[in-house]
Amino acid sequence: MSTKSTAHRTAWSRPSTAWLLIVPFLAGMAFLLFVPAAANLGYAFTDHVGFGRPAFIGLGNFRRLWSDPFFLASLRASLAFVLIAVPLRLLAASGLGIALARPVRSNRWRRILVYLPTVMPEITLSLVFLWLFNPLYGPINGLLGALGLPEPVWFASGWGARWAIIVMMVFPIGEAFLVVMAARRDLPGELYEAASVDGASSWQMLTKITLPSLAPLLLLLAVRDTILSLQVNFVPAYLLTDGKPANATLFVPVYIYDQAFEFLGFGYGAAITVLLLAVTTSLVTVQLVLGWRWYRRRA
Amino acid sequence: MRRWPIATVLVALLLAACGSPGGAPASGAQTDLQLLLFGGPDEVAGYQAMTAEFEGANPDVRVTVTPVANQDDLLAKLATSFAAGSPPEVFLINFRKYGQFAAQGVLRPVQDYLDASDVLSEDDFVSAPLETFRFDGERLTCQPQNVSSLVVYYNFDLFEERDVPLPDDGWTWDAFLAAATALTGDGTYGLGTEPLLIRLAPFVWSNGGEVTDDQVAPGTLTLDEGPAREALDFFLDLSLEHGVVPPDVEEQSENAEARFMRGGLGMYLNSRKSVPNLRGIEGFRWDVAPLPVAPGGTPATILHSDAYCISEGTGKEDTAWRLIEFAMSTHGQELLAESGRTVPSRVDVLASDVFLEPDLPPASAFVFADNAQIARATPHTSKWLQVENAADDILEAMFYGRIDREEGMRRLVSDTAPLFGSGG
Repeated sequence: MSTKSTAHRTAWSRPSTAWLLIVPFLAGMAFLLFVPAAANLGYAFTDHVGFGRPAFIGLGNFRRLWSDPFFLASLRASLAFVLIAVPLRLLAASGLGIALARPVRSNRWRRILVYLPTVMPEITLSLVFLWLFNPLYGPINGLLGALGLPEPVWFASGWGARWAIIVMMVFPIGEAFLVVMAARRDLPGELYEAASVDGASSWQMLTKITLPSLAPLLLLLAVRDTILSLQVNFVPAYLLTDGKPANATLFVPVYIYDQAFEFLGFGYGAAITVLLLAVTTSLVTVQLVLGWRWYRRRA
Repeated sequence: MRRWPIATVLVALLLAACGSPGGAPASGAQTDLQLLLFGGPDEVAGYQAMTAEFEGANPDVRVTVTPVANQDDLLAKLATSFAAGSPPEVFLINFRKYGQFAAQGVLRPVQDYLDASDVLSEDDFVSAPLETFRFDGERLTCQPQNVSSLVVYYNFDLFEERDVPLPDDGWTWDAFLAAATALTGDGTYGLGTEPLLIRLAPFVWSNGGEVTDDQVAPGTLTLDEGPAREALDFFLDLSLEHGVVPPDVEEQSENAEARFMRGGLGMYLNSRKSVPNLRGIEGFRWDVAPLPVAPGGTPATILHSDAYCISEGTGKEDTAWRLIEFAMSTHGQELLAESGRTVPSRVDVLASDVFLEPDLPPASAFVFADNAQIARATPHTSKWLQVENAADDILEAMFYGRIDREEGMRRLVSDTAPLFGSGG
C-alpha cells in the first residue's frame, strides 16, 4: 500500500505531468482572457466598429468619455450601486454565515433557503423581482401599503429602480455565505468557551472574537464583491430597466454592451472597458490599503 | 503509466473543444445560406414555410432560418457575426437600424440585382419603404419586405357600449380626444400608447411639423417649436391634462397591449405586429382605424418596415439574392402574409384577400394598405438609433410627469444634439 502510494506521489510530482495537466487551463486563460484583454486594450485606441480595418485615433475615445453625459451617468450609477450593494451583500452573507454556522439540524433548511437564489438563473430571479416590485400587484408594495407606508412606483424613478436592483442583488450571496460559514466553523471552540467562562455576552463574542478573526476573509470577500458588483448587475439592469429611467440604471457594463453591440462602437466600448478596469483597480486598492492599515493598527 | 490516460483524456477534450464548429460539411454542389431575423412564433413559422418551398424549388441551396427574440438581440447577433467575419448571408432588419451597417459598407446593395431581375420589378412594390432603404439616396440597399405602419386599434364593443362614434377615415384630433375621454372611466382608459418618438412623429407630421431639421442629414430634433411643439403638447396632454391614458403606476403594472386584450383600453396605438396576439381576443370585437388628423392638417402615419439585406463579401451574394427574389415574389409574399403579422410590400399581395383576410379581424385591414401610400419615415442615419433611444427616455419622463414639461423640451434638443454626430 505504502509503495503504491509513494509511486503515485512520484508520478504526480514529475514536472512534465504537472505541466501537461495545467496546459488546458493556461491555454484557456490565454485564449479567453489574456488575448481578448490585450486586444481590447489595443482597440480602445481605435475607431473599431467590429469589422473592417480599425484606424488608430490615439486618445480620441478617452477624450470623448469625459464629454459623454451618458457615460458619466453610467459611472455614477455603477459607483452608487457598488457603494450600497457591496456592504449590504457582505452584511447579509457574513450575518447569515455566522448565524447559521452551528451544526444543528434546523439550520439545514435555512442554509438551503439562503443558497437557493444563487443557483437560480439570473433571468428567473429578475422576472421574480419584476413581479415582487410590481407597483399595483406586487407583494412588496402590498406590504408597504398594509403598514401605511408610501408605495413607490419602483421602476419610474431613478433611485426606485436602483433600489429594486440592489435589493435583488442582495439575495444571490450563496458563495460568500458558504465561505463565511466554513470559516466560522473553523474558529476554535475553546475561544468561545473561555470567553463564556469570563462572562462575555454573545455580542462581545461576536465583536471581540468572531469578526476580528474573520476580518482578513471579510476583506477578501469585500474585494471580490466589489469586482463582481461592477459587472454582475448587467442582466437585471438589462432585463428589468434597460438602463432606465433617466439613465439611473445604465450601469457601465450595460453602456458598454449598448455601445459595442447596439451602436457598433467597439472601439469606444473597449475604451470604457479599460476605464472600468481602472476604476475597479482603484476601488480594490483603496479597500486593501484601508484593510492593511486596520490590520497594522490592531497588530 | 497511469497518468497518461488522464492526460490523454484532457488533451482529447481540449482538442474536441477547439474543433471546427458546425455540423456535417456541405456537399460539393450545395450552398448553405443563413437567414437571420427576429419575430414571434407565427412569423418565424411563415419564414420557415417560405424557405422550405424555396429549397424545394432550388435543391442546390439549403437555408437555415435563425430567429432571435427581438430587434436588440438581432443587432447584437449581427454585430458579433460581422465582427467574427461570418455574417449571415441574408438578414431582415428595420429601416431605423440598418444605417449603421450600411455606413460601414458591409451590405451588398440590391439595386443592380433588382434591375436585372426577370421576376421582380420596382413597380411591384410600395414606394415609401423603397425610398427609406436607399442609404445613399439613390441605389436600393436592401429589399423591403413589409410596409407596416402605426394605426389605432379600437375596442368596437366598448365604443358601441359608450355610444361613441366609431373612428373613420379623416377623423380629427378633437374627435380622437372626445372618444378617449368618453372611453375613460369605470375601469377603462381611452387610450394606451408607449410614449416613444415613433408614436409621436405622425402627430407632428400631421400638424405640419418636422421631427428633425433635415431628413437626410439631421443635426437636431425640432420638437420644441411651431407645429411640432403643438403636436408634442397635444400628445403629452393626453396624459398630463386629460388623463385618458393609464398613469405611470398602472402602465408599470400592466403594459398597454395586455390591458387592451383584457378590455381595459378603448384604443391602442401600435403597428401591424399586434395582430397575431390580438386575434386571441375572445371577449369583444375589435378593429383598426387610421391615426387622427390634426386640425387643418393632413393624414399622416409612420412607416414600420423591415427589409432583406445581403452581407457583402460572403461569396454567396448571388444565391442570397435568389432567396430574396423568391421571398419577394407574389407567392413568397403570400406565404408570409398568411402569418397575419406582415403587411406585404408587394402592391398585388397587399390588395389581395390573402392579406386582407376578410374572415379574420381586423375587418378594416385595408387601413394598412391605405397607410402604405402616406407613411413617412424617420431618418435612417447611422446615429439615429442613439438619438431615438435618448429621446424616448426623456419623452417617457415628460409623458408621465416625472420631469417638468419645459425642462423636457429643452433636454429633448440639448441632450440629443451631440448624438447626431457622435463618433464610434
